[in-house]
Amino acid sequence: MDIWNYLEIAAWVISAIIAGIMLLDMIKVDTTYDNELLTSSREGELELTQERHEL
Amino acid sequence: MSNASAVQAPERLGLLRVLGPGHVWALGVGIVLVGEYMGWNFSVGKGGMIAGLVACWVAGLLYTCVAMIDSEVTSTVAAAGGQYAQAKHIVGPLMAFNVGLFLVMAYTMLEAANAITIGFLLDTVAGMLGHTGLNQQPFIIMTILALAYLNYRGVLASLSFNLVITAFAFVAIIVLFLAVQFGASAVPLDFSAVTNEPLPYGWLGIIAALHFGLWYYLGIEGTCQAAEEVRSPARSLPFGTMAGIMTLVIAATLTWYVCSGLIPWEYLGSAGTPLFDAARVTGNSSLMVLLFIGTVFATTASANGCINDASRAWFSMGRDRYLPSWFGAVHPRYRTPYRSIVFLIPIALIFALGAPLDQVVTFSILSGLLGYTFMTFNMVMFRKKWPLDTIKRGYVHPWHPLPAVVLLVLCAATYFAVFLGYGTQLIAMLCFYIIASLWFHFWRYRFVKRGDQFTMPWPRPQGY
Amino acid sequence: MAYQPPKQSLAGQVVDVIVLLVLTVGALYLPLYMGLAGAAKTPAPIENPTWEALGQNAAEQQQWAALGFPDAASANDIITARFDYTFSWTALIVMVVAVVGYFILVVRLSDKEYREVIDERFGKSGKG
Repeated sequence: MDIWNYLEIAAWVISAIIAGIMLLDMIKVDTTYDNELLTSSREGELELTQERHEL
Repeated sequence: MSNASAVQAPERLGLLRVLGPGHVWALGVGIVLVGEYMGWNFSVGKGGMIAGLVACWVAGLLYTCVAMIDSEVTSTVAAAGGQYAQAKHIVGPLMAFNVGLFLVMAYTMLEAANAITIGFLLDTVAGMLGHTGLNQQPFIIMTILALAYLNYRGVLASLSFNLVITAFAFVAIIVLFLAVQFGASAVPLDFSAVTNEPLPYGWLGIIAALHFGLWYYLGIEGTCQAAEEVRSPARSLPFGTMAGIMTLVIAATLTWYVCSGLIPWEYLGSAGTPLFDAARVTGNSSLMVLLFIGTVFATTASANGCINDASRAWFSMGRDRYLPSWFGAVHPRYRTPYRSIVFLIPIALIFALGAPLDQVVTFSILSGLLGYTFMTFNMVMFRKKWPLDTIKRGYVHPWHPLPAVVLLVLCAATYFAVFLGYGTQLIAMLCFYIIASLWFHFWRYRFVKRGDQFTMPWPRPQGY
Repeated sequence: MAYQPPKQSLAGQVVDVIVLLVLTVGALYLPLYMGLAGAAKTPAPIENPTWEALGQNAAEQQQWAALGFPDAASANDIITARFDYTFSWTALIVMVVAVVGYFILVVRLSDKEYREVIDERFGKSGKG
């Protein structure tokens, strides 16, 4: 076992933690919010709201 | 119409509009600069040193055409998904579906190639420090997951991060060039192969080299993926893209010079990390450390930008129901297309862990190439359906249709270059896109709302 | 009357994603597994290699040494490896037909769909 072996293990652990955080957050968001709201983005609409703010 | 949507707007989620031109430059150059750190050198392998340089400049010309055409269309069709949204408005839904796939494939494969390179580089360094048999997998997985998480958390942080590390990687190339020029290298620059073995494969080699010559610049067109997140897309996108091309032509030429001078071309032609190898040859340990960090940063920046771009394209297709609408979701807090980001992680991993680098690179290049071919007729159709006096464009490129014609000729040459040596890959890719197209046309398209796909406030196209 | 698409069930969405995944992975891995992926360089090592016989001058020899190739024998394979660019015209024609055919197919089908989109967005053609 030298430093590289420890780095390997550290990389595995960090990967697992990040994957865990991301999946948990995704599950939390998906169960907290309504799917209709989450998928409510529409192409071109941002342009319109942005224009409105600037006027 | 604007009133109705303005009233609804607050209840809807959209991507955040927070980016400036610097971020656009960082997104474009960040994705591409890695091409200088790895991959371009296969063009030297395919045709020799001269061919590598010719390919570098010819590909530079090709991408100048791409940038000109793209700037005009993007400054007018500013929507996430970039060329995908352009295709949808100008050519039609099936083309848009294909272009969306080109984008996702090109960027996901590039992301995989970056992760492979990081693993390979760590293995090289571990080997130099006396550790053999490093397991690259955890590092590859960690890279992809960490960057995906950064993207998940928000676009501003991701691209600000990209700006810093891209600038560093660019400066590293210039420092290496200057250091070598001023004699920091223990081994002399040697260009004797240019005269002794100018074209080991003859003129055919120059065309063959074009295949990987694209790699110097591949992905610069990704800047327009950020259209919905840029504060003033009509100005920032053309500016960021053009500045990016100039940066890259300079970096590419310097890279060719230093690497060809310091590395025998036979080795260079199949090297995994050419700039780092050049630093190794100099025998200067600070240069080695600098180029090691540069390579890590360049690959990271690229993978980061790729995750950003691929997920935007996937998200846009989901939003239009070209793909299951589930993917069209925006994170309520971070305002990112989070489901697309998460979904593309395992796909990138499949390729990063299971396929050889040059195959992955070829897959990415081919998808890019199909996309450039699309741009040629897309441009012609854009000018025909909406002549200059019908809609206001943010930027009008000069000499139309010359850039489109030049681009088409160069694309044809590049298809031939890929055909030399990677013909089966090309056919396999085309089969994939043909089957996917038929699947879309005869099955998937039934779930798409027809009129809703056209979202730009333009008049009816001429001739329809 | 505007076209109303059917609502897709969750299972249907999952199936569609799997179809795309299988296609993607297949496109990359099939050529690999069938051993058809080209671009193998074939080394043609020479006997009793010396740096001179391999055409490497003094500077290049130093470079090889710095890269971890101490003698000519270790670099023999890399230096002599070459691509084989002989190709059959039939294969080239197949490729040209495939590429051109693909784009024609996509643009034609797109145009059909595009007319529907434009008609629904701007009203039936003729009315403007």
